[in-house]
Amino acid sequence: MKTLLWSLLVVLGTACGSDNNETPDAAPPADTQPPTPDASCFENPTTHKEIINACTTAQKIERNVTPPLLNPDGTLPQLP
Amino acid sequence: MRRLAIPLIISLALTSVRPADAAPCADLTNPVFLQVGDTQVNLLRRLGRALANNTPNPITFVFVTNGSCDNINAIYTDLKINGNMQYIPSSAEDPAWDPTSATASPTKQCQVTNQSLDVANSALFISSCPHGQPPAGQQSSVGPVQAYVLAVPEASTQTAITFEEAYFMFGFGTAGMITPWDDQAQHFIRPQTKSTLLTWALNLSIPSNRFTNMPACTGSGTGTTTAPCFEGSGGVVTALKNTPTPEKAVGLLGIEVYDNERAALNILAYKAKGQYFAYYPDSTATARDKKNVRDGHYTVWSPTEWIQKVDVNDAPLNANADYAIRLITSKSVSPAANFDPIPLIVGVGLIPDCAMQVSRAFDGGNLARHTPPTSCTCEFEALTDVSSCQSCANGEPCTSGVCRAGFCEAF
Repeated sequence: MKTLLWSLLVVLGTACGSDNNETPDAAPPADTQPPTPDASCFENPTTHKEIINACTTAQKIERNVTPPLLNPDGTLPQLP
Repeated sequence: MRRLAIPLIISLALTSVRPADAAPCADLTNPVFLQVGDTQVNLLRRLGRALANNTPNPITFVFVTNGSCDNINAIYTDLKINGNMQYIPSSAEDPAWDPTSATASPTKQCQVTNQSLDVANSALFISSCPHGQPPAGQQSSVGPVQAYVLAVPEASTQTAITFEEAYFMFGFGTAGMITPWDDQAQHFIRPQTKSTLLTWALNLSIPSNRFTNMPACTGSGTGTTTAPCFEGSGGVVTALKNTPTPEKAVGLLGIEVYDNERAALNILAYKAKGQYFAYYPDSTATARDKKNVRDGHYTVWSPTEWIQKVDVNDAPLNANADYAIRLITSKSVSPAANFDPIPLIVGVGLIPDCAMQVSRAFDGGNLARHTPPTSCTCEFEALTDVSSCQSCANGEPCTSGVCRAGFCEAF
């Protein structure tokens, strides 16, 4: 059951992720998928997502907040 | 004697308080006329001083400042400058002038009439402004990278912010309910022609005209913007220092401005969209190594672009302008300069392309791995931190790589 839930999350995450294809006026989707413990950093990054999450000795700060106006599906609403 | 002295004193006093009496800029040694963003003034001061003293090819930087998009428009349309411009003096003219202290050593003034620009600077991708790519007869060179930061007062306890929080904070204002930044009067921004605002806008996917506080920027370019929008970076710095509610205050700055204000301000580590953790531009809150910009962990940055005029064969029209741009963009020059420009570039918080390990094609765009033609990573790290590279400063052979500026660079 747990595996099924994670698979569902991964599928949903893949479906929602757009890696910077937003048009200027479109509300960008939020990426709220949490890292799994074995994928918290990438040793040999090649893609954008791997580069920004590459393994590093730099100071990193955890910040996991859910803004009150975030859509229930984790996407960002249009600007007012 | 007294009769002579009094008029002399009055004359000197008038000279110092009436810049309209400044000497013609054309009389300076090899003047190059520039219009740059205010974030680039620290670079012009240091590089301009070195160029003024560059015996093989002395050059005087004569400049005015404005927003990046206005600078692009100025050179594209050949806008003429009239009145006073600033310039950087040589050591022969003013031995005590200190390029590192704008307060103690203000720039000198000279006068121009119908002066065309030789060089215009944009502190972000030209494509982020509405004026298009350079027209025929002009050419842009990509220069050092500049990071942009969200600064908070020293008294703030905040250390990090996410892409989503910043989206709501600047796009919805107070209604975004992002604590503790839930008072839009404390969101200090810049007008839409400024690289600082535009770079953040493009990284946050907020159209620049949709920042909640943009209505306060209606006087942009006239010096009449009203808080919380500020025409210059100095206004943001002052607002952050003087805010009565430091926990709620946040302001947009170029990192080189912040680097000069570290005693009074802090910055927020930033967690980009899709990123697992928040990172500072530097490897730690107190470092100055720009490690996270160079390797892609800190994503809010733009390259500077430097536009000059060229002929039909793309040959520069002004050899001295080209000489200066080549030094800024870490290219070789002839005759060789009597100084190394990289320490000057690094010293003002900028990152030469030769030290970057990532690149992007447009502001806010995805990052890709980047290998510059020649590396200066070792030199960069030695200038900002401790370099682990092998030294070849005293003629020792490199066990691998290439000896450059005293270090064994990888390539």
